[in-house]
Amino acid sequence: MNSMIVNTLPSPTWNWLHMNEQTIEDFPKLEEGAVLIEVPQEVEAEAKEAFTTSNVKTGMGEEFLNMIENSGIDIDYFEAKGDTRVSEPLRVEIEYQDQVNAVNAAEILVPEGSHLVCVMNFTSDDKACGNAAMETLYHVAKNASLTLIQVTSLSDEVNFFNDIGGECDEKGEFSLIQVVLGGKKTYLGSHTALSGYKSRLSTDLAYLVKGNSGLDVNYVASHTGKKTGCDIRANGVLRDHGQKMFRGTIDFVKGCAGAVGSEVEDVLLMDETVSNQTIPVILCAEEDVEGTHGATIGKLPEDLMFYLKSRGMSEKAIYEMMAIARIEAVADKITDEKTRTLIANRLGKAEEV
Amino acid sequence: MKEKAVVADIDRSMYDFRYEEKDAYKVDEGLTPEIVEQISKEKNDPKWMHDFRLKSLETYHQIQVPQWGPSIEGLDMDHIVTYVRPKDNKMVKDWEDVPTDIKDTFEKLGIPQAERKSLAGVGAQYDSELVYHNVKDEVAAQGVIYTDLESAMHGEYADMIQKHFMKLVPPSDHKFAALHGAVWSGGSFVYVPKGVHVEIPLQSYFRLNAKGAGQFEHTLIIVDEGAYLHFIEGCSAPKYNVANLHAGCVELFVGKNATLRYSTIENWSKNMYNLNTKRARVEEGGKVEWISGSFGSHVSYLYPMSVLAGKGSRSEFTGVTFAGAGQNLDTGCKVIHNAPDTSSYVNTRSISKGGGISTFRSSVVVTDKAKGAKSSVSCESLMLDDISRSDTIPAMDIRTDDADIGHEAKIGRISDEVVFYLMSRGMSEEDARALIVSGFADNVSKELPLEYAVEMNNLIRLEMKGSIG
Repeated sequence: MNSMIVNTLPSPTWNWLHMNEQTIEDFPKLEEGAVLIEVPQEVEAEAKEAFTTSNVKTGMGEEFLNMIENSGIDIDYFEAKGDTRVSEPLRVEIEYQDQVNAVNAAEILVPEGSHLVCVMNFTSDDKACGNAAMETLYHVAKNASLTLIQVTSLSDEVNFFNDIGGECDEKGEFSLIQVVLGGKKTYLGSHTALSGYKSRLSTDLAYLVKGNSGLDVNYVASHTGKKTGCDIRANGVLRDHGQKMFRGTIDFVKGCAGAVGSEVEDVLLMDETVSNQTIPVILCAEEDVEGTHGATIGKLPEDLMFYLKSRGMSEKAIYEMMAIARIEAVADKITDEKTRTLIANRLGKAEEV
Repeated sequence: MKEKAVVADIDRSMYDFRYEEKDAYKVDEGLTPEIVEQISKEKNDPKWMHDFRLKSLETYHQIQVPQWGPSIEGLDMDHIVTYVRPKDNKMVKDWEDVPTDIKDTFEKLGIPQAERKSLAGVGAQYDSELVYHNVKDEVAAQGVIYTDLESAMHGEYADMIQKHFMKLVPPSDHKFAALHGAVWSGGSFVYVPKGVHVEIPLQSYFRLNAKGAGQFEHTLIIVDEGAYLHFIEGCSAPKYNVANLHAGCVELFVGKNATLRYSTIENWSKNMYNLNTKRARVEEGGKVEWISGSFGSHVSYLYPMSVLAGKGSRSEFTGVTFAGAGQNLDTGCKVIHNAPDTSSYVNTRSISKGGGISTFRSSVVVTDKAKGAKSSVSCESLMLDDISRSDTIPAMDIRTDDADIGHEAKIGRISDEVVFYLMSRGMSEEDARALIVSGFADNVSKELPLEYAVEMNNLIRLEMKGSIG
């Protein structure tokens, strides 16, 4: 077992803040995990020995990707047919059980003019413990779109490493929806290269971090193409001793004239023992761009509290309701009914806790 | 097709003049225990300060250079002279007694005129030593102490100096704080007694004339309970083709229900490495207001920190940074909320032009003791051409649920529509752009006394001269 550095901030800041990266001590050796896949007719699937795309950057970084590439596992490779709107979601279901020591990898190619939704659900039984990892690389071609939905609902004893990296060509669109509802320590990384003219990235993250759990995120949108756009939205709730680190970077590379990027984070803090770290970064080497970011962290607004209290709700009930509303706001963007039910069930369970 | 910016060199002749350093006393280049001993002897340090310097030097050698900011590879400490005493140096209270070339320097910079018109007191430092220090009689009569730090260290305030010196910024804080602890020289000590309101500002002006030298002044200000002070700091230097270094240190102690406004117009020459450290500790109900204009230097690392230590204490930071050709200015601020009901407000503007790099870097830390803390951070950046760079790196670390933290940032360019509108009203394009940039930096200029706001706007006009497109 070796230590590994993941989720490195593209532009580091003061070391004393401990935000520049995350070091995983004693990173375990993982073995290929079981996966259940439902492949729509319009998608070809096969197992490959290696990723077909090279020079892809991912959110968790080079060390993690190298580990995956050198692990010897098969890559679940999916390629949609050209000029096709795939009718059903590509579904990847992974359920971890007992002693977890699993790694999986997928590569998704969406060719010109095609549109694909991929749903990945990561679940575990309550007794599961250990470490799990997932690597997803993608390529979205001209006028194509990929919507990747990932829902994580793991036991409080499973560490999860979830890494994504890919590229969008001209007018290609990548939409990422991630919902984190459990897990011991969850690491999310996503790097999107917006290299094609008018290519777009939309990212929605919703999380509920409670107990002694932690969430460590590193999102990077790299704008190299002209008139590219990105929207990164993160909504979450921290309670008990929950810890969260959010790094979000919009990188306007010289030459991306006309690019627009926006990043918004909204965090509801529900207990005095939570820990919230946020670093929303804009890097700009191009004059003709518009970049914004905003963050709201803390309690609910006083006027909202006053209104709801005047309607007879207790403060505790208001916070519970608003916490669930934050997750549901993102869940409502998911068109897949099965996944929405999974989230609703989990939230119902969370309500009882 | 849009026309791109054409940027002329900046005319800094107002600041870019120099005098020969003949007969000035200098230590050797580099940084050795012998040099530190020599400085200590020159300064007639008490034993504790002598030991403090040597210990700081040890610390300096143990700390790495920062790995996260602009490159300082061009700064070779083996070629920096850490102490330069002007010839015939002695600190006086009358400008007529200041040596002619030094007096001319400050006359050109407008310091004596400003003192007559609008200041309660002035300190003027030339290279490593203060050459002039004076405070108006009526202010002195209120019990306000405004003197050089070395004198204070030997007089009735000796214990107060020892109690506070580099306690807010310990030498272990970072490499250049340690360097400062080893070779500091000059600077001011201000004490404002309980309940005293100093109605007009005090000012210190730092001029670095010597080629290849460093300036390491230390400013220590204590504003006692219920008192008020506005302190203005200005700095400039002529341009040389070798690196100069400024590693000053500012420590501000703001007492219960006291207010300190600390304004800086920094206009170092573009061969300067400005690695300055500023920090304030604010007690219950107290307030610190930072007003910061950063225009000069080749490389800057500058992040005034407010430690909100008392219940209900507050900090405000208002800043503008203008990075032109050859400049990499990494500026911003830090706030630590460590008491209940504290609040902080940060409002900054960054402008990049002619290949300049401007980085806004901040941190807001709210500890578990800071229940009811509120913080608002707003930063806007303006890119004036496509060869410059502007980065925004704000960090927030919140350790309590009872906090209300907001952050917003925006980056963009001058709107063509606005330029077109102003031109349709008869303005030239250059004037229109300069007006827009001045307006963009209005958050700082409106907080400054009129004379300094005019100086800041002149600096912006200088920077904008020749910029069309």
